[in-house]
Amino acid sequence: MAILSLQDISKNYGRVQALQHVSFEVPSSTVYGILGPNGSGKTTLLGIVMDVLKASSGNYLWNGKPGSNQQRRQTGTLLETPNFYHYLSASDNLKISARIKGRGLQDIDAVLQTVNLYERKHSAFSTFSLGMKQRLAIAAALLGNPDVLVFDEPTNGLDPAGIAEIRELIMQLNKAGKTIIMASHILDEVEKVCTHVAIIQKGILKTAGPVSEVLQSSAANNFLLAAADLAALQHILQQMPGVQNVQPAGEALLLTCNENITAEQVNRFCFENGMVLSKLIVKKTSLETRFLEITGKQSDR
Amino acid sequence: MINLFKTEWLKIKTYRTFWVLLGAFIVMYPLTFYFSASKFMAHKSADIKEEMVKSFIGLPFVFPKVWQSAGWLGGLFFVLIGMLFILLITNEVQYRTHRQNIIDGWSRMDFLKAKLTLLIFFVLISVAVVFITGLFTGLVFSDNAGHLLEGIYYLGYFALMALLYLAVAFVVAMLVKRTGLSIIIYFAIVCIADNLLWLMLTLKDSQLGYFTPLEVVDSLLPNPFKPGLLEKRTVSDTSLIAAAACYVCLFSFVIIYYFKNADLKT
Repeated sequence: MAILSLQDISKNYGRVQALQHVSFEVPSSTVYGILGPNGSGKTTLLGIVMDVLKASSGNYLWNGKPGSNQQRRQTGTLLETPNFYHYLSASDNLKISARIKGRGLQDIDAVLQTVNLYERKHSAFSTFSLGMKQRLAIAAALLGNPDVLVFDEPTNGLDPAGIAEIRELIMQLNKAGKTIIMASHILDEVEKVCTHVAIIQKGILKTAGPVSEVLQSSAANNFLLAAADLAALQHILQQMPGVQNVQPAGEALLLTCNENITAEQVNRFCFENGMVLSKLIVKKTSLETRFLEITGKQSDR
Repeated sequence: MINLFKTEWLKIKTYRTFWVLLGAFIVMYPLTFYFSASKFMAHKSADIKEEMVKSFIGLPFVFPKVWQSAGWLGGLFFVLIGMLFILLITNEVQYRTHRQNIIDGWSRMDFLKAKLTLLIFFVLISVAVVFITGLFTGLVFSDNAGHLLEGIYYLGYFALMALLYLAVAFVVAMLVKRTGLSIIIYFAIVCIADNLLWLMLTLKDSQLGYFTPLEVVDSLLPNPFKPGLLEKRTVSDTSLIAAAACYVCLFSFVIIYYFKNADLKT
């Protein structure tokens, strides 16, 4: 059974349609990335399933049941920004979270140690840097060792070492059998961490599924080629049926062609046209490439 | 409800502004009341003219009227508690902790009930302060304590007033959300709007003015220094209590309806 099932969720803010008929399922024990440009509706979607925003239409199920207080208590969530009482210490803020979740206070020191904030447990939240606030929010989400974690931009505000630590933590949690739902606009983060991905653009779900399937469904294959005469090679490749684009890439050429073109066909076409290749590398489609294929290349995506 | 209050207490027990405003009420109000009483009673038989005025208004710091006086002055100071209550609610919205409370597992009604426990806490604390102030002052300045319990129902009226004032503060804080603006609007309602409405509605000897949202409880605790002869109210206390209860229900409905259906953003 899916951990989370979204069924035809729409959300309007007046005339603005933040989400339009979004449906997908999050399988158990996956790291599910919700990927989209800024303002695409990722946080709105997570806000709806955590009951802080009301959907205009559609519904969602957690473990096959409608969302409830009990389910939220058993889910560790960091939504948008760390929300804490500024005048309270890290420890006191976590006591409030633990009380609301109906958890004991015994986890507090352990989760603070996990996010490297134990030494600052008595410091007021208002004295924390952005990265420390983010780490405290992750600590709060870890309280009570929940089976499902929802992270919205979890590495926001962290330094490179902190980003690596959190990514490692997410992968460890997943290895321990936890399901992690993670919204991000950082392609590299999703590609490194997630097993599944849903891509949202302007509130519309573009694609969803295992990362490998999303990448395989790419409508293009990419090859890196080189020969003694790059200009002649480029000219020959432009004649080849199924080629979409040929562009210089350092001391080689990047060839983009239809998905049914294989490396063997490229090699044979070049040879038959008198060109011997010194390099032919099949380039794996990156999530970035796939993302740009889906959402377009304009900055106002 | 006790658990909800314990969580609320965790939120406020180290909040300095909470202690400053609550402390201001707990210290300033009794001191003001006691020193006013001392000054008033010290001129007990200073001259004949003043003695005549006193015979019109009675003895505001002696049992049983001391309960009415204590309740009336407590009402004037109670705006401090109203302001504090607004601050505690709008802080939640501005820090987005109300969202986090829901995300962590409270229902929206749990959040409102938690704030209700805080409201009840403020009512109980302020009634206790008014009781102690009235009792102490009455015992100091009364010749005997024979009438001690006679006007003690004014404490009940004070509790109703505190409840309604905080209900108004609750509505304003929930709908306006911004701390400064909420406090300005609250003061405008308490000090200007409700009194203007009362004035407009009572101009032609109508009794309707006594049924405005805050005047219903203000009228239950009239100014003890105002001679009874000038009192124009003819509607009974029971009618005002019933009206106050209706307002509390109305405000509760507005708060619950709004919060249960709202998107929780800042």
